[in-house]
Amino acid sequence: MISFDKVNKFYGDFQVLKDINLTINKGEVVVVIGPSGSGKSTLLRCINHLEKITDGTLNVNGLSVADKKTDINKLRRNIGMVFQHFYLYPHKTVLENIMLAPRKVLGQSEKEAKELAMYYLDKVGISDKADAFPSQLSGGQQQRVAIARGLVMKPEIMLFDEPTSALDPEMIGEVLDVMKALAKEGMTMVVVTHEMGFAKEVADRIVFMDEGQILEEAVPAEFYENPREERARMFLSRILNH
Amino acid sequence: MDFLAPFIEVLTPDNMKFLLEGFWVTLKVAAISIVLSFIIGGLIGILRYAKIPVVSQLLAVVVETIRNLPLLLIIFFTYFALPEVGIDMEIITAAIVALTIFESAMLSEIIRSGLNSIHKGQIEAGRSSGLNYIQTLRYIVMPQALRRMVPPLVSQFISLLKDTSLAVVIALPDLLHNAQILYAQNGSNVIPIFIIVALMYFIVNYALSLIAKRLELKQA
Repeated sequence: MISFDKVNKFYGDFQVLKDINLTINKGEVVVVIGPSGSGKSTLLRCINHLEKITDGTLNVNGLSVADKKTDINKLRRNIGMVFQHFYLYPHKTVLENIMLAPRKVLGQSEKEAKELAMYYLDKVGISDKADAFPSQLSGGQQQRVAIARGLVMKPEIMLFDEPTSALDPEMIGEVLDVMKALAKEGMTMVVVTHEMGFAKEVADRIVFMDEGQILEEAVPAEFYENPREERARMFLSRILNH
Repeated sequence: MDFLAPFIEVLTPDNMKFLLEGFWVTLKVAAISIVLSFIIGGLIGILRYAKIPVVSQLLAVVVETIRNLPLLLIIFFTYFALPEVGIDMEIITAAIVALTIFESAMLSEIIRSGLNSIHKGQIEAGRSSGLNYIQTLRYIVMPQALRRMVPPLVSQFISLLKDTSLAVVIALPDLLHNAQILYAQNGSNVIPIFIIVALMYFIVNYALSLIAKRLELKQA
């Protein structure tokens, strides 16, 4: 479903991604971890072309992302994205936030979009906030709205870029619960996160990155108990012993 | 009562009618210039924000040039220099054209910086949901930017209304121009006339800023 083949990315002279080879299959949940600046967010953002790859091949849903002939807007319809800082539209209500893309991109009727939006709001557990503005919600609620906003397009892939890093600790659980439920339904997910509990419980695979490279790929149990790479071991000991 | 006497003397129906005629010209020229410069300035602001190669750079040069010239010079240029190259305009048209050129440049900067103030993440959220660039601008960036722009826009509109008085130099029959004619007839009237003129400008401009405050509160 997603395949990186010898992908490199540069910012000027600085190489952010180095020879990335990674395949993610339909229904898989892949958690990407690594120290900050290791390129994990960049990797994620290449998938929906928020970042351009410099060379190599990146195929998503059978489309070559870097190919100029690829209709990027069409590709993006099928990929939901959740950001660390939510980025809800502050001038729109919760319902309007969720309805915008279905209305304008898919051309759904007001009624159809509203029903669908309410369905997903219910799914993330905040249908009572439909008419609230984002500023009236807690961080956890905002992030759940952002997830509903992604899901309403019925994407085949969901990308999560540190979805709980900006949240107060007591709100992390509610967001992770929504994500776990999603994973159990078979959604293909790529998640950049440090939440080890989540990774252990739902990830099919852990991808460990450092300095723009994928250093290790393993199933969670194996990775957390016995990382092969020295740098992965150091990283884990640092996040475990803080 | 001595204080009021000069006012009573000046405030004859004829004089008031004459001043209000001038004020009507002021308001008309300002209103037309505001509408035109908002459209043109808006377009320039958006084109510069969108960083279209060549077009954006060209517009930057034009805007910076105009912004750094005195409005008075632009008014002179429009009325006295353009006829030399065959573009001859009536006084009122020349005033509107000069004000529109100058204010479009000023407004385009307000609009461009307003658009720039919207966080990149908003655009990424829109684009990643499948909206194209124009849809993202229209439904996500512009509405948010417009709210932030209201205070500087209104203050620029107020400036424009006041700046119409500069067109007395090409004899635009506006409020200040008509006031000059009145006190030229009787020099002792100069103070009451200026006070009346000041009041007229003040009432309209203050009303504008009150409306702007209202709009801001509504959005907060």
